[in-house]
Amino acid sequence: MSLQTPRILPSHLHAFHPSGASSNTVRILGTVTALHGSTGTLTCGNNGDVTLILKSDARLQVGKLVEVVGKVADLEGGQGYGIRVLGSTEWGDPADCDYKIYEHVVNATHKFKPIFYE
Amino acid sequence: MDGNYNNYNSFGGGGGGFMPGETNSPAGGKTGDRDNKTLRPVTVKQVLDASQPFPEAPFQVDGADVANVLFMGQVRNISSQSTNVTYKIDDGTGEIEVKKWVDSTTADNMDTDDGKAPGDGKSELQLNGYARVFGSIKSFGNKRYIGAHSVRPLSNINELHTHLLEATAVHLFFTRGPPGGAAAGGNAGGADAVMGGADDYGSGQNKALASMSLVAKKIYNLLKTEPQDDTGLHMQVIASKLNMPATEVARAGEELLGAGVIFSTMDEQTWAILEY
Repeated sequence: MSLQTPRILPSHLHAFHPSGASSNTVRILGTVTALHGSTGTLTCGNNGDVTLILKSDARLQVGKLVEVVGKVADLEGGQGYGIRVLGSTEWGDPADCDYKIYEHVVNATHKFKPIFYE
Repeated sequence: MDGNYNNYNSFGGGGGGFMPGETNSPAGGKTGDRDNKTLRPVTVKQVLDASQPFPEAPFQVDGADVANVLFMGQVRNISSQSTNVTYKIDDGTGEIEVKKWVDSTTADNMDTDDGKAPGDGKSELQLNGYARVFGSIKSFGNKRYIGAHSVRPLSNINELHTHLLEATAVHLFFTRGPPGGAAAGGNAGGADAVMGGADDYGSGQNKALASMSLVAKKIYNLLKTEPQDDTGLHMQVIASKLNMPATEVARAGEELLGAGVIFSTMDEQTWAILEY
């Protein structure tokens, strides 16, 4: 079985935490709203923010829509969950994406696991 | 167009000859041209899970034959050879190899990249960029791959998302029947039986119908909903209403007759629903 990367929203992070889940590599879509050195903030529509733990060669730009593939990890200082970025795809202007469709995709993919993730 | 299309069909196009056991397949066995020309939106996982009733048979997804599939994913590897380009495509549900044969003749009018030579598309595809792929499922030894008709870059993320929703909708169509209250309800593949479907049959008939082909379910549904007199509907009328070849309707009709779900009225070809 090849590696699967379920699409998620910030509220699903806990389900993919390394302590419980068998796989903790996920895909998440959002707008980069802040960058502070080795971390960044990804805003996922009206679904909240996720802290990204960046690689040194990450080339993210504030204000762009990106799809991130990464591993769910604990943040330093017990600040909850974040995503350690493994790769990212830039999709340009967030206004060109209807985030509602993505929310439906996340719902559908988790509801009908036999054709997506299992 | 039809002729062109046949060239792409790895299974030789057409309905093919009768194969023993084929009539038992949930999709209705010998599928006509109509079914063999479909382009199904799928996920990579569905392709990897596709079953093959016997060697050389068309692959089946959710119990229905598939000729061509459409999916979108990220390009994880590109390897150019003299005769083909092989891509590794990952859509988050799995990974599969996609082979696009390099066509030296420029006659491929399916490529609508204006003014560009076919096969040039690879220069636009970037590693880790998204691609949309359509082609047919093939296997070589134990390895499954896609014989691609087209591999093109994908630039709009909404297209990716709607594709995933479309794949879900089509999966549900094949496992639960058409949407709406008068849904055929039955289960074509047996994969999602637990989720059930609209249950508008008499209990006995429901059981009988569940194991029938999609065509039989469609006919039953039509007979149920179409205004008619006591004598029911003629086979030809059903064929034209469902837009299907008469032979296919006749075969599915026999299936229904055999199960005692419908009965013939004025003559052998006029059927009505047998209600208890």
